[in-house]
Parts: sequence; C-alpha cells; structure tokens
Amino acid sequence: MVEILISVSLGIITALVLVVLWRLALGSYLKWSEANRRANELLRLVLTSEQYRQLMRQGYLDIKSPRHSERVYRVPQRQGLVRVIEQGRRTMSLCLQPLEWVPDADMVVVHKLLIEADEETYLQTANKLAPI
Amino acid sequence: MGMLRVISKRGDDRLHWNEQDALAGDAEAIAAIREAERIFAHERAKGATAFRVAAGQPVERLEQFDPQAEQMILVPRVVGG
Repeated sequence: MVEILISVSLGIITALVLVVLWRLALGSYLKWSEANRRANELLRLVLTSEQYRQLMRQGYLDIKSPRHSERVYRVPQRQGLVRVIEQGRRTMSLCLQPLEWVPDADMVVVHKLLIEADEETYLQTANKLAPI
Repeated sequence: MGMLRVISKRGDDRLHWNEQDALAGDAEAIAAIREAERIFAHERAKGATAFRVAAGQPVERLEQFDPQAEQMILVPRVVGG
C-alpha cells in the first residue's frame, strides 16, 4: 500500500515538474518569437524595398560607405562578421555587438544606422580582423 | 505623430506622442513627450546611440531628444566583439 502511494506521489510530482518546464519553454519561445516579429517590422521600415529584397535573397545587405566611394560594408542577415569590400576585394572583417542580445533583424538595423550616420565611430568601435 | 523606438531583447519598445496635441496643451500628449524624453535620457546615459529616421531622408545621429522628429531609434551600447 505504501509503495503504491509513493509511486503515485512520484508520478504526480514528475507530471507537475514537466508541466512547469513546458510552460517555461513555451513562454520563452513566445517572447523570442514576438521579439523577432517586432524586429522584422523595424527592419522593413528602415530598409528600402530593394535592400530588403537583397537581404532576403542573398543573406546579406550591402551598405555603401558614406565617406569612401569604393567601400561597401556587407552585413550578414544572421549575426556575425561584417565584411569590408573595397574595389571588389575584401579588405577586413569587423566584429561589433551590443551589450545585450537583440534579434538578428535588429542587429542589421544597428549596423545600418551606425554606418550611415556615424561611420568613423563605427570603425573605431568595431574589432578589425584580417579578411576571412 | 512622433515615435521613439528603443531596440532591446524584446525587439523594440515603442512610445508614441502627438506633437500637435501637446502644443495645444493636451495633458496626455505632454505627459507622453515627457516620458519619451525621460526614456531617451535614461538610455543615452546607459550608452545608447540615438538616430532620427525619416522616409526618404538620410539617417541622422541625434544628441538631444527632438519631440518634432517623426521617428527616433535608440540603439543599445555596442562594443567590439
């Protein structure tokens, strides 16, 4: 009798733990999903239609340097290194990240705003790596 | 209508206000602008960078809160990775 009670109790506890874990996982997923939806909305607002198409089709966005006519910054759709291309050749890679995690689409927006509005600070802040 | 967007892990947090209503003395619109200004100052103090974004115009870096801006975006502090 005691063994049955213990088994039933353990079964109930296990079920409760699983329900709590499932709810936590679902909650995190919903927050992540909503953050990505909002980030994509902002991305569509900040990019031109042509830029958005390039990002979706090619997986990167080319942003022209405002100060150097031969330079292009190739920003990846997913977070990663930004390639600097000058006269068709990769000259370096840049690594820059926010202090807190933001969705991938927001990171594309961050690169675009910083490059277009304050390229010098962008270059000073980013870590520069040999082209890979 | 003006809008402040603060990029964060939640995507972006948004605050709206109506500049015309505020100029006409609408208390709610004035409060919304004050709240946006407070958030702007708070995020800037944490190292965020502010930009003014308007359709068909080049992006502009902002040092001060501008209630007349159509849209301002605050980017969290970034560091070399």
